[in-house]
Amino acid sequence: MADSKGPSKLPVTVQKPTPYTFDLALLMANDPNPLLTPTTLETDLAATARDGAQALLNQLLGTCPIASTPNGVLLTLPEVETRLPREKPLPAPQGQTKWQRFAAKKGIKPKTAAARQNLQYNEATGEWERKWGYKGANKAADSQWIVEVDEKSDKPTKATGAASRQERKEKVKRNERAMRKNARKERK
Amino acid sequence: MLRQIKPRNARSKRALDKKAPKAIENPKTALFLRGSSCSQLTQDALNDLYQLRVPLARKFTKKNNIHPFEDASSLEFFSEKNDASILVFGSTSKKRPHAITLVRTFSHKVLDMLELYLDPESFRTLSQFKNKKCAVGLKPMLLFAGTPFENPIPDEYTAAKSFFIDFFKGEPADKVDVEGLQYIVSISARDIVEGEEAKPKIHLRVYLIRTKRSGQKLPRVEVEEMGPRMDFRVGRYKEPEEAVLKEALKRAKTSQERPKKNVETDIMGDKMGRIHLGKQDLSELQTRKMKGLKRSRDVLASEDEDDMLDGASGEEPVKKPREA
Repeated sequence: MADSKGPSKLPVTVQKPTPYTFDLALLMANDPNPLLTPTTLETDLAATARDGAQALLNQLLGTCPIASTPNGVLLTLPEVETRLPREKPLPAPQGQTKWQRFAAKKGIKPKTAAARQNLQYNEATGEWERKWGYKGANKAADSQWIVEVDEKSDKPTKATGAASRQERKEKVKRNERAMRKNARKERK
Repeated sequence: MLRQIKPRNARSKRALDKKAPKAIENPKTALFLRGSSCSQLTQDALNDLYQLRVPLARKFTKKNNIHPFEDASSLEFFSEKNDASILVFGSTSKKRPHAITLVRTFSHKVLDMLELYLDPESFRTLSQFKNKKCAVGLKPMLLFAGTPFENPIPDEYTAAKSFFIDFFKGEPADKVDVEGLQYIVSISARDIVEGEEAKPKIHLRVYLIRTKRSGQKLPRVEVEEMGPRMDFRVGRYKEPEEAVLKEALKRAKTSQERPKKNVETDIMGDKMGRIHLGKQDLSELQTRKMKGLKRSRDVLASEDEDDMLDGASGEEPVKKPREA
């Protein structure tokens, strides 16, 4: 290509007695070489900064993977090496609840997103309805003045739908009790 | 210590969750505040440092009657109240002119403190350099020059280095735009020379980076001072307590950190594994077979011997046959 002694060719390499060390994730370079005499401080500092900037930029462009995206030319940086203190302690590992322990023992998988979705198809009416909450399907038995006997259950069935509502409320309370108990155990 | 707040609505819960300890932490917020007496020079310096730290910074303007090295409880309170773990405190007194105290906290308790005295002669503010400044919130490049920063024994200089890295590192990012590499913060200190000042000054300079075409693949870098320009003398230093520092340096365990051992893929894409078999039992080794070494004969011979011994049925079976 062009001749090496042409005036347009500016030096881009930096030669120092002791090589730089880098922490590219912090965009940091360490220059362990001693500074020069204090006669011309500003020019000396500027020269050191220039060399450092050149070396750091060379290292960044030379070693980091470069990707050209619509948002600009992006450099992928490595992991941080320098140890810096945290601002808060590491969070304590979360303890398992009684249910989580039980589920793990029995091999019960957590509910899927589909199971947790609050919508189901009602084949009788041909419409989509909520499973719980406002106009939830679990409240269908509440307003009934007479209910079917559950053959499988060994508990005596109450005659009206109000019992269904009461049962539901009790379930919620029981769950809250369990949550409080788990939280209490966590605190100990 | 502030009282423990139990969130009563979703908004306050979100706010508390934001403050809670996390495995991967939020970027540190820096809080700038001044003592009851603070020279205009120090105020300007604080303001410039604030400008460099924005947006991860807050600035207080009221006077605070705080002496960090005597009693840091007020700073700890401010740290907790503002969720700031870097505090920069400016003050002036006859004995300690133009002092800037850099404080870092860990779980809202002071971790380490370093006092720096600003040199009034060489100080230049950001606005005294008449050139274009870089955009707000850009990540600077960092350069630490000089042997004092490389000291393996922790001292004021390594503390200053650690602090300035914390101060200038900004938001953690795994990708950075090449266009965003616009300025460099150069922090340098001379060697400790016998006969001269025992503690050399720390020079903080900020330069804009100009890249020129060099005719090669890499660009030629030139620098232009952007300001501020600060020279610091090192003052008092409060070291971090060892146990606290150890706690503070802990890192969260991630699944990526531990690579799978002994499994590798070769250039053909075949998965190769090394397994450990333990020590081989050589006593069971099958050697060359010969008629004379047949086990059956061996067993028979010894059985015969046993019979003989049994026949003698003495208390000392080895000696008896010799006597007979």
